[in-house]
Amino acid sequence: MLEVKNLNLTYDGKNYVLKDISFKLEKGEILGIIGLSGAGKSSLLKALNLLEKPQGEILFNNIDLTQLSRKELRKFRKKIGVAFQHYNLLSRKTVFENISLPLILNKENEIEKKVSNVIKKVGLEHRKNAFPAHLSGGEKQRVSIARAIVSNPDILFLDEPTSALDPKTTEKILELILKINQDMKISTIIVTHEMDVIKRICDKILYLKNGKVHYFGEVYRFFSEFEKELNEEFYRDINYNYGKLKLKNGKIIKVIFYGESVGKPVLNKISKKYDITFNILYGKIEDLKNAPFGKLILEIEGEKTNEFINDLKEHVYALEVLRL
Amino acid sequence: MNILNELIKATLETVYMTFFSGFLSVIFGIPLGIILYLTSISQLKISKVIYRIFDVIINIFRSIPFIILIVLVIPLTKLIVGTIIGPKSAIVSLTIAAIPFMARLSESTFKSLPKEMIDTAHTLGMNNFEFIAKILIPETLPKIVANITLLLINLVTYTAIAGAVGAGGLGAMAINYGYQRFRLDILMYDLIILILITQIIQFVGMKIEKIIDIK
Ligand SMILES: Nc1ncnc2c1ncn2[C@@H]1O[C@H](COP(=O)(O)OP(=O)(O)O)[C@@H](O)[C@H]1O
Ligand SMILES: [Mg+2]
Repeated sequence: MLEVKNLNLTYDGKNYVLKDISFKLEKGEILGIIGLSGAGKSSLLKALNLLEKPQGEILFNNIDLTQLSRKELRKFRKKIGVAFQHYNLLSRKTVFENISLPLILNKENEIEKKVSNVIKKVGLEHRKNAFPAHLSGGEKQRVSIARAIVSNPDILFLDEPTSALDPKTTEKILELILKINQDMKISTIIVTHEMDVIKRICDKILYLKNGKVHYFGEVYRFFSEFEKELNEEFYRDINYNYGKLKLKNGKIIKVIFYGESVGKPVLNKISKKYDITFNILYGKIEDLKNAPFGKLILEIEGEKTNEFINDLKEHVYALEVLRL
Repeated sequence: MNILNELIKATLETVYMTFFSGFLSVIFGIPLGIILYLTSISQLKISKVIYRIFDVIINIFRSIPFIILIVLVIPLTKLIVGTIIGPKSAIVSLTIAAIPFMARLSESTFKSLPKEMIDTAHTLGMNNFEFIAKILIPETLPKIVANITLLLINLVTYTAIAGAVGAGGLGAMAINYGYQRFRLDILMYDLIILILITQIIQFVGMKIEKIIDIK
């Protein structure tokens, strides 16, 4: 439904802030765009919105948006909903009026009914006559999302929708985004620098680094393959070189579980089979959107550690030996 | 008694000159400010040319001292009003001086609108007219009111300058009595009324600003 091919963007004609970006988004999918500050996330969103003019192709239902005239593009924008990082609500209009704006501009009918429905969906019935200045951050984000979806777009862009919110409000907004995604089957692109947002709601991830696609694909694969880099870049504090640990003489392995294998007692069974004793150095299980994702770092001892490792490999998503 | 009547008449003339030229300056100055703003943010070549032209013209007018401007526009004043004496004539030069001031003030106010609001207008598919009516003016309205307040207060002092060259009003009276006949008491009354007018404009302006600002 959305296919981006070799997208390049420069603001000054010399330095490219986006280099050769390609990816694909299927209908109903949620794609997370992640990267450090300055990586080009907002620029990518602007390019996809044609707020900046990029080179390359942006195929939206097989129509190349970069080739549309200004007038055609203005009409096309109805199918694209955008919620901005700073909400950008009209300060002199109430919640209701803000949300009805796209419908008024499109000269649609039954505005009252459509807006009421959306207000209900985002849970703002009790605030519909309030002005933006009197809303909390979470409420403003809801209005902003409501305004973005009120004209039933095919695709929804969200720029850092939770970055200014506390963890509890973040959770509520993420639930809302998921609900909208499921109810309306709306394809969603969400820009964020928070790993938790990716884990909670995304199907695919596009990891931007210095304006280039560093990774594009499934979320679980991303977390297992890019673990070390992620630790270094996003959570420097929990990075630890387990290979250097001074333990007796056991081997150290890292095991990644994904999906079904998380819930099964594989480790226990297989360790008994080879008479291995293990010592857990680190463990963590997280809920990704589609399935749980777990990581264990173990010190193992016994006669048949090699056989144990080979067998365990068959039953888990990934296994890496950190120290022999 | 005679003096009192004269004071009242002069006050009314000053108020008339201030508000009439103020009104005209808003009517022409704000749209000019909008043109400046829109052409300054546009990427089109033609916009850049238009911006430069207006920019230069406004700079020229703003660098002419008011007293000289009055002299320069005498032919125009004669053409429009028929005479160069009296409050009506002064309105021509006051307005010509105030329009560029208002335009610049408006331009810089509009520039304070966050760039993201322009992006928002684009993503909502707004055209220029919708952007002006639904975002640009409403979002900057309290500042626009503050600008108009400032404009009117400046105009009060400008009417006094115009008064020196035959415009009438409190300025003319101050010069006639205070300067030429050494009637310092009348000069003081004049001054007090000017201060009062300024205070009232400031007070009302701030009140309106407060009422329309949704905080
Ligand atoms: N309007 C602009 N003009 C020039 N350079 C810009 C502009 N916007 C962003 N940049 C530059 O592009 C790069 C990417 O910025 P941005 O897309 O905002 O990154 P992110 O959203 O990932 O933090 C940065 O180096 C930034 O300085
Ligand atoms: Mg950004």
